[in-house]
Amino acid sequence: MLTAGCDVGALTTKGAIVQDGVVLGWAIVLSRSQAVQSATDVMDKLLGDLGLSYGRIDHIFSTGYGRNLIPFAHGNMSEISCHGRGAQWLVPGVRTVIDGGGQDCKAIRVNGRGALVDFRMNTKCAAGTGKALELMARSLGVDVSELGPLSLQAKDPIKMNKPCCILTQMEVKRLLFEGRDRADIAAGINDVVAREIMHLVRDVGQENDIAVTGGAAKNIGLVRSLERYLGVATVSVPVDPQLIGAIGAAVLAADRCGRAAAGQSRGGPPG
Amino acid sequence: MARAVCLDDDGRSCENQVGRSASSWGGREEEKLLYAGCDLGVATAKVAVIDEEGLLAFEILAYSGFPQEAAAAATERALARVGVPRSRLKRYLSTGFGGKAVPHSDGAVPDTACLHRAVRMLDPRVRTVVSVGGHSFSVFHIRDDGGLGESAITDMCTAGMGLMLETVAVALDLPLDGWDPGVQRPGQVPFIDNQCPIFAESEAISLVNEGHDRHDVQAGVTAAVANKIAGLTRRLGVRREVAIVGGVAKNRAVVGLLERNLQLGFAGLSGMDPQVVAAYGAALLAQEGCSLDTERLSSSVSEHLRRKGGS
Repeated sequence: MLTAGCDVGALTTKGAIVQDGVVLGWAIVLSRSQAVQSATDVMDKLLGDLGLSYGRIDHIFSTGYGRNLIPFAHGNMSEISCHGRGAQWLVPGVRTVIDGGGQDCKAIRVNGRGALVDFRMNTKCAAGTGKALELMARSLGVDVSELGPLSLQAKDPIKMNKPCCILTQMEVKRLLFEGRDRADIAAGINDVVAREIMHLVRDVGQENDIAVTGGAAKNIGLVRSLERYLGVATVSVPVDPQLIGAIGAAVLAADRCGRAAAGQSRGGPPG
Repeated sequence: MARAVCLDDDGRSCENQVGRSASSWGGREEEKLLYAGCDLGVATAKVAVIDEEGLLAFEILAYSGFPQEAAAAATERALARVGVPRSRLKRYLSTGFGGKAVPHSDGAVPDTACLHRAVRMLDPRVRTVVSVGGHSFSVFHIRDDGGLGESAITDMCTAGMGLMLETVAVALDLPLDGWDPGVQRPGQVPFIDNQCPIFAESEAISLVNEGHDRHDVQAGVTAAVANKIAGLTRRLGVRREVAIVGGVAKNRAVVGLLERNLQLGFAGLSGMDPQVVAAYGAALLAQEGCSLDTERLSSSVSEHLRRKGGS
């Protein structure tokens, strides 16, 4: 059975095809202004790469922006469900997924079948997001990609006392003027973001194993800080974190077909 | 010097009457003792120069580079306006976000102490002071005996601060104080829930993309900021008279909405530029502390704080 997932994001659109428990292929394209165009682009590329046609795919699920507008999708699921299912499918022991995105940050709890149990998301405050890291890194004069490696060199990490990333930007400038070590400041930046994420995880109810996905996973310093706060090592997901939503959508589509098939074999209505 | 010329935060030149005639100043220059205060904020440096008789000149300098250089430049300009060298300053105190970083300062004092001192001087009837800058927001009471009463400070979150107005104005490509009653269409103003500049910026852009007029969106953001300020003020308690100080006090839209919300008119503070009140307060504290030694000065400041904490 072949199923596909299509995840339309603000910047990039991701597609993945799953066959019998294996990721057969994936594609990432830049998003266009219309969700339908972006979804069509990524599916055309993905199917073209694999030499398949739309007719060969048994079930397609969409997620992300405009997920209910995609004409070729057989159904759609929220990004949160897809992310949870995708991470748990890739690493079966995972029960808590931390998805650190650009403007949002989520803690997602799933059960042993990858179904969504509960989630928490920042709604009022940008602390804990990639945007926060980006702003504070800019104040430090480094690219956000350098924060992780730099913070690992810290000897005396600085404790930032304000959660707000805008106010911490001022704090970073002040620390620089005071001549504090840049690695120590970088560690402080990762620490303050990790603290915010930890609150979401505690709130949703931490259950191990924990996977870190999204842009947050690319910052090794942030991941180490999080592990200190959560008291446990996180597991890494063996694919580009960007693809987890699309893979999750494809797996959920397979789940749906599997249940439908099981239902039909029992003579019941399709689920 | 009858007039002090300064730059407002858009960099335009404006003239400020400081109510002093040249003759009252001239002739006895050598005998006059001068004091100054520098309020070094995140985006602007404010300097006030006074003598025993009151304000001589002030300077508001917006900066984007090094705060220390901005503080030094603002001080030089304010002194140039009075026409005296730096050596004429008997005492010079600093306050604000970068108070401790101000070069040549004789000491850094808390901004609440400065605002309290200045407002007491400008209008003794004031019992509630609302202070809203670009990156600061606090409300405090002044007791009937003149002491510092209870205070509420938001320093963990930028909600209610002027930064949000600025961020959204830039995103919408509108002037910061583009409040034009003719443009307002009350039924069309969207309700903005976000208090975080980062979220408000993307919300504002989304609203414009959905077809809202930019001015209406700006009015919605302005209302969100005004509501936040009114909320904290009410929580502490509105005791008349009420004064508003800080850069946001120059935003007519916010002030208008606040006056309507709190059902009052703000005290005029003798016409002083609301952005320079903390610097003026620092200068007044410098003047009072001048006859004291450093230790006694800092104890007079901690007295302010003790009263604040004790009440």
